[in-house]
Amino acid sequence: MKLSRIAGLYVPIVTILGYVFLFAPLVVLVIYSFNAGRSTVVWTGFSMDWYVQALNDRGLQRGLQVSAIVAVLSAIISTAIGTSAALAVIKRPFPAKNLFSTLLIAPLVLPEIVLAVGMLVATVWSGLALGYLTLVAGHVLVSVPFTFLIVRAAAATLDPRLDEAAADLGAHGGQIFMRVTLPLLLPAILSATLLSAIISFDNFVMSTFVSGVGTTPLPIQIYAMLKTGLTPKINALGTMLIGVNVLAILLVMGRYLKTVRGTGQ
Amino acid sequence: MRNRRQNVITLLLLAPSLVMAILLLAIPLLVVIAYSFAGRDSYGGVVTGFTLESYVELFQPAYLPIFVNSLKIAAMSTAVCVLIGYPIAYFIAFRAGKHSGLLLALLLIPFWIDFMIRMSSWMVLMGRNGTINGALTGAGIIDEPIRMIGTYPAVMVGMLYAFLPTTVLPIYAALSGINRRLLEAADDLGAGPVEAFWRVTFPLSLPGVMAAMLFVFVPAMGVYAIPVLLGGGKSIILGNLIVQLFLDFRNIPLGAAVSVVMLVLSSVIIVFYMRMLRRLEEAHA
Repeated sequence: MKLSRIAGLYVPIVTILGYVFLFAPLVVLVIYSFNAGRSTVVWTGFSMDWYVQALNDRGLQRGLQVSAIVAVLSAIISTAIGTSAALAVIKRPFPAKNLFSTLLIAPLVLPEIVLAVGMLVATVWSGLALGYLTLVAGHVLVSVPFTFLIVRAAAATLDPRLDEAAADLGAHGGQIFMRVTLPLLLPAILSATLLSAIISFDNFVMSTFVSGVGTTPLPIQIYAMLKTGLTPKINALGTMLIGVNVLAILLVMGRYLKTVRGTGQ
Repeated sequence: MRNRRQNVITLLLLAPSLVMAILLLAIPLLVVIAYSFAGRDSYGGVVTGFTLESYVELFQPAYLPIFVNSLKIAAMSTAVCVLIGYPIAYFIAFRAGKHSGLLLALLLIPFWIDFMIRMSSWMVLMGRNGTINGALTGAGIIDEPIRMIGTYPAVMVGMLYAFLPTTVLPIYAALSGINRRLLEAADDLGAGPVEAFWRVTFPLSLPGVMAAMLFVFVPAMGVYAIPVLLGGGKSIILGNLIVQLFLDFRNIPLGAAVSVVMLVLSSVIIVFYMRMLRRLEEAHA
């Protein structure tokens, strides 16, 4: 009886501490990004100075620009690849389907650093230059498993009788796809795009290996700054990034909730 | 004719991902394997050919401890993550009721926040003049700031912070799939809550626990920013070693050999995981 009471307390206590552990650092970061002084202990007054400095930092500006370009490009490409693969797996008969799925999910399970080394060595070997091309390619590789899994899960829930009904009504293959399949999959496709954009924007390990001179993405820029010492500029930048990410998550979740409610009715 | 057209469509759908898998996954990994068998001339340039030099060098006393260290840190991180992640998953699955959706969403928020920002927030907290030291000295609990950055526990904190959501999600998925009637049945048969947990809930959640372990252990071996930023760069693990060999020493063959060893290690772990999973499924079927 006593043992079960200890076990009964262990679960809620660890849960509470776990959530404190997850959010305390972020809360501290956000609060002290508005501190006038450099200290992360003593509050010396409210100020937006660190925001002004972060936004005026040349390195961070450039990093943000590189990251945004790569995130948009790689999100579009990896969504196209993931979606076509998902449609093939769900809607089309072809041999070695399981092997194909495993191949697409492999980059998620294999250590990212090994994939990154592969990209770097292959680039050196082929004589190409490191830059936007290699960054986009590397980010596509690490985000395709996510776009594939998301769209495949949504496509698996589609009723195959919808296609039959459309065909009975005289629609041909292309029309069925454009007017039935695509609209139904659109929420999943958009979530996949957004998610892979976030993955690319946050990516660190792959970027370390495949970014070239002049194409340093934001996380690498932040890492370089952190290695030389903390500056409150990073707190300000972090707060802005947290804001953007939370907004993106709410968009995805809101969409997801809407679909759940929509199908519930 | 019609059949032919259908095949063309299938091929067109498969083409982009196959091209990607060949260009960005298969060829690069093969090139890494090829380079790991290449030699180096006295200027450090790569000499193509077949030699085991790099692998022999890896098993010298200079490098062996790094492998042991990486496996230790990965195993330790996995243990810490599961010990803390399991009760959280359990709470969300069985105790949270209608708030479970909210708790899951909250869990995902830090997961999507820029990794570097998350690390910098821990540097803010654990620094010598950081928030934790400030609070403890202010409260009179300690006189001198404690050194936290650069210690082993700080690395563990970073690992836990990086991998906790990844641990909770698969365990939660396994727990929430358990048929509640099984637990009622255990209760009816006179099992106490502890016994019901160990004999019903825990065995049924094992596939989730194993997935969580896989998702922590494999990436933990390759992590390198955490030991540098929070560990003070003192504990060298496979991730740092690969980065150093490639980006600082430009020793491609040796770096490739370390990567191949890591690829083999993680493949062995993944195959082992699939085997275990199949065995578990057979046992429950």
